[in-house]
Amino acid sequence: MTVLPITIGILVAGGVYLLCQPGLVRIVFGITLLSHGANLVLLASGVSAWRGEPLTGAGDPADAGDPLPMAFVLTAIVITLAVTVFMLALARLGHDDDTRHVPDTGEDHHA
Amino acid sequence: MTGSLLPLLVVVPLLGAALGALVPGRLARVLLVLAPVATTAGGVALLVEHAQTPVLAHGVGGFVPGIAIPLVSDTLTAVMITVTGLTTTACIAFALVTGEARLRFFPTLVMMLSAGVNGALLTGDVFNLFVFIEVMLLPSYALVAMTGTWRRLGIGRLFVVVNLVTSTILLVGIGLVYGVAGSVNMAVLSGVDADDPRFRLAVGVVLLALAVKAGVAPLHGWLPRAYPATSATVMALFSALHTKVAIYAIFRIHQTVLDGATSWMVPLLVLFGVTMLVGAYGSLGERMIRRSLAWQMIAGVGYILLGLAIGTQLGLAAGLFYMVHHILVMGSLLLSSGAVERAYLTHQFVGLSGLMRREPLLAVVVALAMMSLVGFPPSSGFFGKVGIARAAADLDGAWIWVVLGVLVVASIGTLLAMTRLWADVFWGPPLEESPSRGKGHTDLPPVDAETRMQTWSLAPAGALLLVSLAIFVVPGPLWELCLQAADGLLDVTAYVEAVTAP
Repeated sequence: MTVLPITIGILVAGGVYLLCQPGLVRIVFGITLLSHGANLVLLASGVSAWRGEPLTGAGDPADAGDPLPMAFVLTAIVITLAVTVFMLALARLGHDDDTRHVPDTGEDHHA
Repeated sequence: MTGSLLPLLVVVPLLGAALGALVPGRLARVLLVLAPVATTAGGVALLVEHAQTPVLAHGVGGFVPGIAIPLVSDTLTAVMITVTGLTTTACIAFALVTGEARLRFFPTLVMMLSAGVNGALLTGDVFNLFVFIEVMLLPSYALVAMTGTWRRLGIGRLFVVVNLVTSTILLVGIGLVYGVAGSVNMAVLSGVDADDPRFRLAVGVVLLALAVKAGVAPLHGWLPRAYPATSATVMALFSALHTKVAIYAIFRIHQTVLDGATSWMVPLLVLFGVTMLVGAYGSLGERMIRRSLAWQMIAGVGYILLGLAIGTQLGLAAGLFYMVHHILVMGSLLLSSGAVERAYLTHQFVGLSGLMRREPLLAVVVALAMMSLVGFPPSSGFFGKVGIARAAADLDGAWIWVVLGVLVVASIGTLLAMTRLWADVFWGPPLEESPSRGKGHTDLPPVDAETRMQTWSLAPAGALLLVSLAIFVVPGPLWELCLQAADGLLDVTAYVEAVTAP
């Protein structure tokens, strides 16, 4: 049972390291690692013993894994995926905004 | 009204959002106006209902308690839904005036935001709180990216990254809560032994994440940088919705799940006192109207949460009263700034001067709203601060003087900041003679002597201000509601029964 905590630790450490790097793409990767760590924390909170499938009739309910953390993780994965896509779009669109160049967004910026 | 109508408050705006993406623009804007009006009406109906039944609960889909997704409404929820609905309506009215509502998908995004806010205010489940906060944030990312100056793209990164990392921390906290207590239902969690250090730590992680979202010092740095880069309309929306939902969640979780743990009072008092001071004096370094106001938002967060730290019935009620006042006044000031930007193309102090003679009506609205922010009569801010001071007077020994001292010093900071804003923007030479306008090609375009803002672009800000003034004239009903909400937070028996009853 030490695999999960160590994995979470490595994922979070890598995520925090990448978050501290310049460049949005690295930050996106960092956030991805961090959210994987968070998902494993969620799994560890309910299905840590890798018990049986939580299906009725498939086995003894006492041995069945808790389905709720799996639902949590599924929700979290979907949300992170959506935001990652949005952030990659931001990384492409505003790629030189640190240098005060006006990015080409198809608008005029006279104001 | 029964609990089974509660999901409508989420479903109606969400349905509006879906329809808004499909139907032609004009029809989408009709939906955009109807959705927050319906939300406000729903909030008022809930307020009326809670005079008899203190708590309404509904398990979505009719599942048994413990499995169902619970939606719960009590007086606190109803007050929040009404006030946020009202402010959203004003912001949308302003978006229609400025033409932002014509932007593609703007109606859809705002309705989605509204659905997320209503859901977060109604949910009785910590995990669904996370989900609804995400529902609220996703359209916000898009709103940041589509309105404001081109700087929004860089700022949008900051906003997204901070909120996403915070959401991850919130998720980890919820996972830990589930691991310790075996449930994420707040009614069930209120029965868990709050003295268990593991449980406290887990809830502490949740509260930490919410504190970042609320903008509590020293975790506030992102807010005054991110918000002013969007347009005034979107900033007013965010000001009324985002931080306030986080504060609502802090109130709810601290009182329901931790049973209002008073052993944290001293660190909390210090934290929120620092927030008030940092916010109040942070404005002094800014040279743009909305940047200056963003710092005052942080000060407001401190005042509201100070009520929570005091923790008595009076304290909680005063905090909630201040929250209502703050939402209204901040909305009014930000929309006034939006009206200035619409007519004079900037909210920088350097590009504005002499607006007092030029725009007397604007000057009256902004002056009254500023007085409300500082806490002078005739405005809701006066009773907001009186309430906090009254609650602080019940503290032990020296803490009375510390808290009252911070209150006064922070109010003076707000007064100084607002005086400076007033002196730079409203006093000074007429705008057409302003040296900063129209010299070089990088300067702002010059302004004609007869240029004026459209009177009706000030109407949404004026409407919010009128509500604030009405609260000064008749503070009783709102104060009663806040006391009722505070009672509901202190004694959660009715809440727990309503959620867990079959």
